[in-house]
Amino acid sequence: MDVFILLLEGIFVSFEPLNLGLLVFGCLIGLFVGAMPGLGSVNGVAILIPITFIIPPTAAIIFLAAVYYGAMYGGAISSVMLGIPGASTAVATVFDGRPLAVKGEAMTALTAAAVGSFVGGTVSVILFTLFAPPLAEVALRFNAPETFALMVMAFATFVGLGGDDVPKTIFSILIGLALSTIGLDLITGKPRLIFFNIPGFLHGINFLVLAIGIYGIGEMLWTLEETKGKVQMSKLSVNMKEVGRAFGALKKTIMAMNIGSFLGFFVGILPAAGATPASLMSYGITKQLSKNSKEFGSGVPAGVVAPECANNSASTGSMLPMLTLGIPGSPTTAILLGGMILWGLTPGPLLFTQEPEFVWGLIGSLYIANFFTLVLNIALIPAFLMVLRIPFAILAPVIFVLCVTGGYAPTQSLHDVWLMLLFGFAGYILRKLDYPVAPAVLSIVLGPLAEKALRQSLILSDGSMGIFFDMAEKPIAAIIMYIAIVLLIMPAFGPLYKKFFKKAQTT
Amino acid sequence: MSVTNKITVKKAEIAVAVILALCSIALMIKSAENRITWNAEENMGAGFLPFYLSLGMLICTVLTIIKFVLKRSPQSKDDSPFIEAEAFKYIAVTIISLVILVLAIGYLGIYFSLIFFLAFYLRYFSSKSVLFISVFSLITPVLTFLFFEWLLKIPLPQGISEPLFYPVYDFMYS
Repeated sequence: MDVFILLLEGIFVSFEPLNLGLLVFGCLIGLFVGAMPGLGSVNGVAILIPITFIIPPTAAIIFLAAVYYGAMYGGAISSVMLGIPGASTAVATVFDGRPLAVKGEAMTALTAAAVGSFVGGTVSVILFTLFAPPLAEVALRFNAPETFALMVMAFATFVGLGGDDVPKTIFSILIGLALSTIGLDLITGKPRLIFFNIPGFLHGINFLVLAIGIYGIGEMLWTLEETKGKVQMSKLSVNMKEVGRAFGALKKTIMAMNIGSFLGFFVGILPAAGATPASLMSYGITKQLSKNSKEFGSGVPAGVVAPECANNSASTGSMLPMLTLGIPGSPTTAILLGGMILWGLTPGPLLFTQEPEFVWGLIGSLYIANFFTLVLNIALIPAFLMVLRIPFAILAPVIFVLCVTGGYAPTQSLHDVWLMLLFGFAGYILRKLDYPVAPAVLSIVLGPLAEKALRQSLILSDGSMGIFFDMAEKPIAAIIMYIAIVLLIMPAFGPLYKKFFKKAQTT
Repeated sequence: MSVTNKITVKKAEIAVAVILALCSIALMIKSAENRITWNAEENMGAGFLPFYLSLGMLICTVLTIIKFVLKRSPQSKDDSPFIEAEAFKYIAVTIISLVILVLAIGYLGIYFSLIFFLAFYLRYFSSKSVLFISVFSLITPVLTFLFFEWLLKIPLPQGISEPLFYPVYDFMYS
């Protein structure tokens, strides 16, 4: 009952004029930042944090959380309409969102993304409100071995469930991980893989460079080849019939909504995991459990709902350890945490007693932001329609401009723009030869976190890999690791299963 | 028979696998500049992970080559052109213009380079009027400037054109 009263007070706080105005403005900015290739929630929040110093902390956190939330919705827009994820959290949305748009069902994809995001956001914020203390304890139990095991499982999901050529899939994972090791070694500080002594490699390779290269430049080259510049981008018709059809298609996505919402939340609260692995895992598991798993990748609404539900749910989940434990659950919440310190607050459990208006104002605002972002997202569909009416010969150079500026903006280095072009060209050629590119992007994002977790685990175990398989000492890590191994060897049993199945049918 | 028709999917598959194998070996050699050993007594060497990740990449490319030789992959039996002649023109012009764009950014700055890039690209690929192309090529860099420099406060490279922007900055920050 206390929680309910505190929540109501929080909702009242978020309805104060300044807070509500900033909330709506934040949702709007987030939608556009998320939709822009190369700029995601982390860029938006980092860029906007200086302007929050002129407003009270509660208004500031409500504004930035709304940007974060809006960006989670917005990432799906460019994934569907352009085939370019606005941020890594929307990578999995491309897998089915883009084929749906190409088939002329962009409205279905956008509706599925918006409703999926809304459901994931709503479920997760209810879970956040009701189960904050016990769930924070679950997250506390995850140390380096569990985190590393979880990352291995995320990689194994691609091998076991991806359905692509196994050596090419593993190659893609490994090249992403190898690229993530470029720069300074995190323990010894020694420079690694500094090619031709170019100083630009010292700061490593930002995942955005690879993501924009592959999904921006590479995708445009792919589309140019397919269309020869003669057709327009995905068509979108907005009328009541289409809207009705889009909502009708959501009936078959209940399972995806459940998986995405709950899985997203639990993965989101784990420090070092977050929305990207949550969305990819949600997609993989939904695909595996679906009766129509073979249709995934060719454009099914459940393939859009699963990652979108999960990334919104994970973004809320990632705020849980930030608020209760002072541990960021994602890069964006790390910046929010830094903001809290700058605003003069002490992140951690004491916030709940010392700053209830701040904590419950934020929680209350998540409910309101979820609603406003859904409304704004659907209301802005005509704006996306205008973009689609632009001929491809005009849209393509504009996307190239966005890619070049998006590749430059995060580090402000031309070196990264050159790398982005290189990855774009290489990604285009590899994709033509059926090398899956998504695992490389996932690997470069998770690589530094996985390496840190691995090395911390090995320091804990005096160099023994047994720490990941010790059912007595680390049961959670061991279970996750065994699941990962099953996923890794699953493709080897696929042909055997088919062989025996066929034999059984014939006898 | 044109050059593009001679490059079949089959040839591209084996060529790319060999190039990736060579890149993996190069990565292994580069990784070995740091210590690549690891045992319980001493911490993991800085080169350990990149070395073994590259070795894994090499094994994967060798498996791809073996599958190719045994004709187990779809690409190993595909004699169709890797890229059609007409599409090649689009891809080649796009890649060359993007490379020139980035080269020009370092010298001319992004805003003037974008004007030339957009004007060329639209003239080459679209059937729009000169007036439309001129307006579009000028407005896009202006919007880019306003979004990045004014709204997001991210300075983009300006090369030799930087002095031209001083009055604009004076106006923006006065």
